[in-house]
Amino acid sequence: MRKACLATIVLLAVGCATYTSRMELSRDLYYDGRYGDALANLDKLVKDAAERDHYLLLLERGKVDLAAGAYDSAIVDLQKAERRFLEIEATVSVADLFKNMLVNPSMGEYQPEPHEKIMISSYLLLAYWLKGDREGAFVERNRLVERLKQYTGGLSDADRAALDVPFAHYLAAVLYEIEGREDDARIEYDALRRIEPDAVPATVDPKRGELIVFAEVGRAPVKVSTEIRGYLQKDGGNLVGFFNLPGSRGPQMFFLPGLGELELDKPGVLFTFAFPQCVRQRRILDRCTLVVDGVEAGELKPLDDLEGTAYAAYEKNLGATLIKAAFRTYIKTAAQTKLGKNDDAKGFAFDVLGKVLSAVDRADTRSWQTLPAEIRVFRMEWGPGERRVLVRYVDERGNVVGTSRAIAVSGERDRKTIVFLI
Amino acid sequence: MKKLLLPILCLLFVAACAGQTTKEIDLSKDTAENADFSSADLARITDGTMNSLSANGFFQQYAAEHAGQKPVMLLAKELKNNTDEHINTRLILEKIRTRLINEGTSQFVDDQAFDSALEQLNLQASDLYDNAKAAKIGKFVGAKYVLRGTISNIRKRSGREDINYMNVTLDIFEVETLLIKWTNEVEFKRVSTKGAMR
Repeated sequence: MRKACLATIVLLAVGCATYTSRMELSRDLYYDGRYGDALANLDKLVKDAAERDHYLLLLERGKVDLAAGAYDSAIVDLQKAERRFLEIEATVSVADLFKNMLVNPSMGEYQPEPHEKIMISSYLLLAYWLKGDREGAFVERNRLVERLKQYTGGLSDADRAALDVPFAHYLAAVLYEIEGREDDARIEYDALRRIEPDAVPATVDPKRGELIVFAEVGRAPVKVSTEIRGYLQKDGGNLVGFFNLPGSRGPQMFFLPGLGELELDKPGVLFTFAFPQCVRQRRILDRCTLVVDGVEAGELKPLDDLEGTAYAAYEKNLGATLIKAAFRTYIKTAAQTKLGKNDDAKGFAFDVLGKVLSAVDRADTRSWQTLPAEIRVFRMEWGPGERRVLVRYVDERGNVVGTSRAIAVSGERDRKTIVFLI
Repeated sequence: MKKLLLPILCLLFVAACAGQTTKEIDLSKDTAENADFSSADLARITDGTMNSLSANGFFQQYAAEHAGQKPVMLLAKELKNNTDEHINTRLILEKIRTRLINEGTSQFVDDQAFDSALEQLNLQASDLYDNAKAAKIGKFVGAKYVLRGTISNIRKRSGREDINYMNVTLDIFEVETLLIKWTNEVEFKRVSTKGAMR
């Protein structure tokens, strides 16, 4: 009996793969530019996904579709996900709450970070524009501006610098320019000036024929589940926990007030909990240059440090993440100590319960993982005719480490042409 | 027997809950589901437009000046959509056109039939058709007026609350002079609040 229980626990531990590990293959295929293979893998993940991860996976698939030029499919997936995220925004599911607290925090439905919601609208705008639906792109521009107002309007200057999405402001401004709404374009460029002044164009001129290139660089940071070990002891009417967090100096401490009645059979007990560690991805690129018909046209300017934004959002949520972890730790410890003190059979049952909870404890490693680390921009005068453009990626030592796919871009007199390269 | 009753009742309950239900909705009692543009708004816009047109007297004046004739009008390709929603704005214009034609106040040139009409005329001009009975070219009627408009919104979403102001402005302008002969706006504001629990 005991052996069977232990075997079940081992199986549970093995069976609960984190989101990051499930996404690993699709992520690698996507960043290698093998969009067909990435999509085939994502189709399988979407099909097999639990409801709680379904819409996040639609975001991943929508992003790959956008990169692959399948704009209609990208729109379908991104819109479906956006609709669901708006539906559940600011609401609470009691079932999710219990599962989050008792099992692990990835059991609830995924709710994206504000910058991820802004990026959904940004990519939808691009998808409509690149498929040639101007009116659709203008509607998405309106939605994007509304999202920016909703998610970044109330931020302090310091938070805005970390959490705003300059790419979204730039994109909205360009679409206002294209529509001939100079004043609205200036408002968005002014918002951009506060966070990324070097990226703001020198002039706003809807009639100027221009090529505007956006290039995505690097990989978004991902979260991995790390086991944290700590020590729990009684302090009067409270429980106090100590643990070391990766990247933090010295031990961290948490209080569980009013839980001191928990009878620890020793002066203190060791505990473990799963913690989502945010890991920046290695980047070898230093700069990118735009090449037009084989001739270097200039260097792309940094526009949006999405890696920094994702990291800032992660740090902002750290407190809440730790409180939830502390609560789960308490439940596990209670199951294994206080309740386990009963007779032999019950003691064994609660011991197993504690071990099961430990086995299924996984950090919530979910995030939109096909986002880039950074977005850069380049703008130049552009007239009628067709030319081939590509972005050349250069490392710190000046070596060319790769290029984007080359695309034929045709320009029209007095019109702006947008190119999106990954 | 008693032992069987409970499972049977449970099965009946499950069976009653299964499957899909479809219910016809009376369009005259149609209401918006949330703060977004809905089918109920279509009726509101059409009614508001028709009321304004009859109060304005544009069609009566035209008939009086042109020996009882009806003005020939054209629909703009679509309403200019300045909202944050993907709306089939052509539907709004077509609904108004349907009411105007059915109430006998105006005639409309079909802006979308041009290509197929031209194709048909070319075909009938060929030897395949009896030339005496074929439709004649050069009989297309030009529109004197164009019905067009803009739909805009201002939305404020905060937490569980979604406040949406919508405005539809329509006008009829004269093709020859560009003078606006009639204009009207229909506006409404809705707030929708989601439940805290889902």
